[in-house]
Amino acid sequence: MRLTLLVNDERHELEIAHTARLADVLRDELGLVGTKIGCGEGACGACAVLVDGRAVNSCLLLAAAAEGHSVTTIEGISRDGLTPLQQAFIAEDALQCGYCTAGQVVAATALLAVNPSPTVEDVRAGMVGNLCRCGAYPGIERAILRLGQVAPA
Amino acid sequence: MTRLVRSITEMEGRFEEKWVLVSDDEPEAWASDRPLAIVGHETPRTTGPTRVSGAARYTTDVSLPGMLHVAALRSPLAHGRVTGLNREAALAVPGVRAVLDSTDTLSFRSRSGPLYAEPEHAGALLAVVAADTLVAARAGVKALALTIDPLPFVIDVDEAFRDQRIDGEIAEESRGDVDAALAGADVRVELTVETPTQLQTALEPHGAVGWWTEGELTCWVSTQGIFDARSELAKRFSVAPERVRVVADFIGGGFGAKQGAGVEALLAVELSRRTGRPVRFINDRHGEQLDAGSRPATRQTVRLGATGQGDLVAIDSEVLTSFGMTGWRAVNTPAMTLYRCANARGVEANLKLHLRQGNAFRAPMVLEGVTAVEQAMDELAITLGIDPLDLRRRNFVDVDQPSGLPYTSNQLLACYDRVAELSGWVGRDALLEPSEDGLLRGMGCATQIWWGGGGPPSHATIRIGGDGIATVVTGIQDIGTGTLTAAQMVAAEELGLPLDRVRVTGGDTRPNVYGPVAGGSQTSPSVLPAVRGAAAEVKRTLLQLAGDVFEAAPADLDLVNGRFRSSDGALDEPYTEVTGKLGNATVDGSGMRGANPDGMRANTFGCQVAQVAVDPGTGEVRVEHVWAVHDIGRVINPLGARSQVEGGILQGMAFALSEEVAFDPTTGVPTNAWLDDYKIPSIADVPAMTIAFVDVPDTALNNVGAKGLGEPPIIPTPAAIANAFRHATGRRALALPLTRARVVETLA
Amino acid sequence: MSVLRSGYVRPTSLGEALQLLAQPGARPMGGGTDLAGLIDRGIGQVATIVDLQALALGGIRGEEGRVVIGATTTLSDLLDAQDMLAPYTALLEATAQAASPLLRNVGTVAGNLCQHTRCWYYRGPEWTCWLGGGDTCYAQVGDHRKHGLQAGDCISAHPSDLAPALIACAATVQLGSAWGDRDIDLADLYRRPTATERSLVDLEPGEIILSVTLPAPPDSSVYLRAGERQGFSFPLVGLAAARHGERVSMCAVGVANTPHVLDPVDPLAGLDGHPQSAWKRTVLATLVERSLATVAP
Ligand SMILES: Cc1cc2nc3c(=O)[nH]c(=O)nc-3n(C[C@H](O)[C@H](O)[C@H](O)COP(=O)(O)OP(=O)(O)OC[C@H]3O[C@@H](n4cnc5c(N)ncnc54)[C@H](O)[C@@H]3O)c2cc1C
Ligand code: SF4
Ligand code: FES
Ligand code: FES
Repeated sequence: MRLTLLVNDERHELEIAHTARLADVLRDELGLVGTKIGCGEGACGACAVLVDGRAVNSCLLLAAAAEGHSVTTIEGISRDGLTPLQQAFIAEDALQCGYCTAGQVVAATALLAVNPSPTVEDVRAGMVGNLCRCGAYPGIERAILRLGQVAPA
Repeated sequence: MTRLVRSITEMEGRFEEKWVLVSDDEPEAWASDRPLAIVGHETPRTTGPTRVSGAARYTTDVSLPGMLHVAALRSPLAHGRVTGLNREAALAVPGVRAVLDSTDTLSFRSRSGPLYAEPEHAGALLAVVAADTLVAARAGVKALALTIDPLPFVIDVDEAFRDQRIDGEIAEESRGDVDAALAGADVRVELTVETPTQLQTALEPHGAVGWWTEGELTCWVSTQGIFDARSELAKRFSVAPERVRVVADFIGGGFGAKQGAGVEALLAVELSRRTGRPVRFINDRHGEQLDAGSRPATRQTVRLGATGQGDLVAIDSEVLTSFGMTGWRAVNTPAMTLYRCANARGVEANLKLHLRQGNAFRAPMVLEGVTAVEQAMDELAITLGIDPLDLRRRNFVDVDQPSGLPYTSNQLLACYDRVAELSGWVGRDALLEPSEDGLLRGMGCATQIWWGGGGPPSHATIRIGGDGIATVVTGIQDIGTGTLTAAQMVAAEELGLPLDRVRVTGGDTRPNVYGPVAGGSQTSPSVLPAVRGAAAEVKRTLLQLAGDVFEAAPADLDLVNGRFRSSDGALDEPYTEVTGKLGNATVDGSGMRGANPDGMRANTFGCQVAQVAVDPGTGEVRVEHVWAVHDIGRVINPLGARSQVEGGILQGMAFALSEEVAFDPTTGVPTNAWLDDYKIPSIADVPAMTIAFVDVPDTALNNVGAKGLGEPPIIPTPAAIANAFRHATGRRALALPLTRARVVETLA
Repeated sequence: MSVLRSGYVRPTSLGEALQLLAQPGARPMGGGTDLAGLIDRGIGQVATIVDLQALALGGIRGEEGRVVIGATTTLSDLLDAQDMLAPYTALLEATAQAASPLLRNVGTVAGNLCQHTRCWYYRGPEWTCWLGGGDTCYAQVGDHRKHGLQAGDCISAHPSDLAPALIACAATVQLGSAWGDRDIDLADLYRRPTATERSLVDLEPGEIILSVTLPAPPDSSVYLRAGERQGFSFPLVGLAAARHGERVSMCAVGVANTPHVLDPVDPLAGLDGHPQSAWKRTVLATLVERSLATVAP
């Protein structure tokens, strides 16, 4: 089927299978490989992207269903250089192998957008869909909390 | 001068004597009390910006023009015989370019497989289909319309043991007279425990992109060992190693499972050779969980005999390992080495089962062994009425008993003291008071032992040019452990340059600078001394050149934080005054890891304490706090080291609480080979963690004083948790993990 | 009227959607988070995906002491409507613990209520089990540690966290199809499967959920659950309790293949368990005791 996707503020006309997942389209058709696939079943969050500002699992989302919405990937988030959140990830060593990291950054970006000063509990509840096999969680938690502290009250 | 010498090398406890190249110019070890400017200070990883921005390219991200994609057909049975595969139908699917199954003669040599007609485990590869798109490849697999007849299978330990399905010889090692010592002991305990099958579950699955062009082979592999992968590909496809290039810029975790080239690379290359196109073969999650390896399940019986004061007089350990059809044996290492005991025996058998063969998973076998021995020690402490930590202190040993050799360093007693102090260990019985929330709390401890000394061969080169940037070239791959950052730190320290003047590369065999596999906690202690050696050579030359430029005696000069300084302080000039004059010339240095000290064993040690809260009504076990103190020699980067320990604890915790493969008894197929059913920890499961190191450099081992850290932190965590559960509830679960089902059944 | 075509359609009017859904092989899609997994694992025939997102079936509104939740309201939308839903504590607690934030941003209320069982035999490509149209309930002869406690042809465990909370709060569902609308108790949306009807949801072909209606709130309510880890896990056992005056209604999941309304006098009645799932009885008994203590006046 034909469809138009708005990704990182750019419009793309595509011809895809109707069951194609957004994650595969981003990676294979648009070359946006910062979005990772860890499970393809909604269980890990490595594929997280923003759809209209909300973080979703792009491995389960039909690309067709994303038409008419605005998709932002890790490349879009990083377009104007590293965000303070990404810098905090580095400073707190919130990553090891880095495979989950794009998804973590996307999910944390969405979390901070609605809750600029989260508590530890907010961070844990808000990030629970993003697994990290390396166990970088303590750093991820510290990085997000650090952002909360510098955010304007 | 460089020389060839015979030296003992070690990988995950397997010792080998090899010829190795060593240098006489290797720098002296940094003295323990020497202040260092960069090493030992928290340093963010060099690859941070690339990884957080999504710019890092993993094997899964490699995309080449004309590339084909592979989908796999896997066995739906633990044991079966393929009776039908419709290759024509698969080849007729639009976009499908090639199909391989067991009837094809492959151009690489292989003892069995990798494509099976009679699969002996669920998930074994039966066929692969390469197509223009993954969708087409999957359609091709479907079109194969597999038919397969079931054959009898065995996955049950008791059944296998009854039928004596034993792989090779039963391994037995012993010293002293265990039976007599047990019979004469004042106190005896016996404990049989089981440990589960745990899956590495790296978030990036195994995969490779192979590209065969005119007898040149380029292969991107998600591997922990690019040089091993290169040798494997060269050997199997009969090409010279120089014509094989293996690239692994970023690896999405390995945890031991990603050794060498792997079947994905072999098949990708084979398909590339046949089709003339680059070929990508990435496991999907189900394939990865079924067929990428595991930490095999064990059943262990440990008998301990002791005097009434708590001196061990006998250790007797029997191990059954569910390795698959074949495997190695090392579960008894802790039984034979952890405590001073004149009479010790370890018997170990691998059962031949219709399971995917186990492979390395972070501290393979030793974690399993410690989990049993340390629970038995806990029972002994309880029987004797002795503080479990005191029992361990009392049986401390400072030699490697099987070899009789001393350790290069051993700070275990300091680890015990520190972990006791941090955790408030002596007051732990206060946790047994009834609490308002109705939860049962307790604390347990366990000791860690692992090798981790590294050794030769390992090489590094450093080149600095007119731009003043020093580039460190290594042949290691950073699987997330931060080794490249540590290499950058060591180079900057030795050179006397600021960190941002040093770049470090790895993950590519093309420069032909050999580095070891990232595994067994041996990467840092192997490669960092080589990096330091290379840096020392570059620095010597730079000081010579500075002598020329500033008309001073090189011996009177030093390079500190990017400035040349004379000993009297009269001269203080930026180093670029010298490198700026290099033009297109470069100053090069190369370094290599020296031989390990003769007549010594290098091991890491540590102790962890865990506190748990148990809800008897719902079977929930929550780990509230883990205190970890390890002896890993010099801590190069405390920031990265802390992350390694946190990650190890979390994987160990999950081994104790939630991770296990469930097998369907009727087909022998794992039922939970997915990420939704196989439960690795989430951020909500993270306990409080207090982490410390006994940061005493191991100056006997290598010139940076560092031992490895990959494996140690995972090793004691499960036993510490199991012992804490025992302390809290008065019951011992005879199998891990402590799922709700098991806890409810144990407390019933 | 749209002509049915194979693939994906996103109708913009309810009438059009119901016409499309009346065709064989058409399947409604909310967020698709469950449907996508079913397609991947080859469960069921899906000729046409009818995406309900453009039908204005989303949103939560209060009317005359009731609250009406549109079918395509996402789980996150529920959590964002704390003010309106505060009196239905159990529902908010259940929603907050369901799945993950990422999934809740897409997963819809109707999709959550109609999601298929997570039984690993049902989902695994290696088996075609009884519920999936085969002959054998592999769980009963195999590994059923996470399964239900009831006897029957299919011992799977119902997975939805929302269903028990809504049922305890006496929710009704409004159904629509090309043939007409009906309004039933949510509890009646579920049925035990039979040899001829291997489905756990009692919808006519082409019939969809339009909305869920909550009557006047209970005096107090609670949702308690036991998962496989501290977060992001299906409920092994989930229990909602709601007190309306003297009467407490309790509904559990994870214990039967449909949400199971408990008998207040003998909550474990009919839930004898199977060898490997019997442990859930202890957990359920504990959750019953704790939830009763919580909702007590
Ligand atoms: C990894 C994972 C973990 C999860 N954990 C939990 C959990 O802990 N607790 C929990 O409650 N849920 C959990 N879920 C389920 C998740 O909440 C559901 O996937 C989601 O709610 C389904 O919503 P959806 O809108 O995406 O459904 P869809 O995939 O769109 O639909 C699911 C089913 O409902 C049908 N359907 C959809 N809309 C309608 C309608 N209006 N009328 C009739 N039928 C309809 C579809 O045809 C399909 O059969 C989990 C899911 C995943 C993937
Ligand atoms: S419990 Fe139900 S879904 Fe599971 S195997 Fe049995 S019939 Fe199939
Ligand atoms: S890849 Fe999408 S959740 Fe794992
Ligand atoms: S950093 Fe490796 S999975 Fe998160």
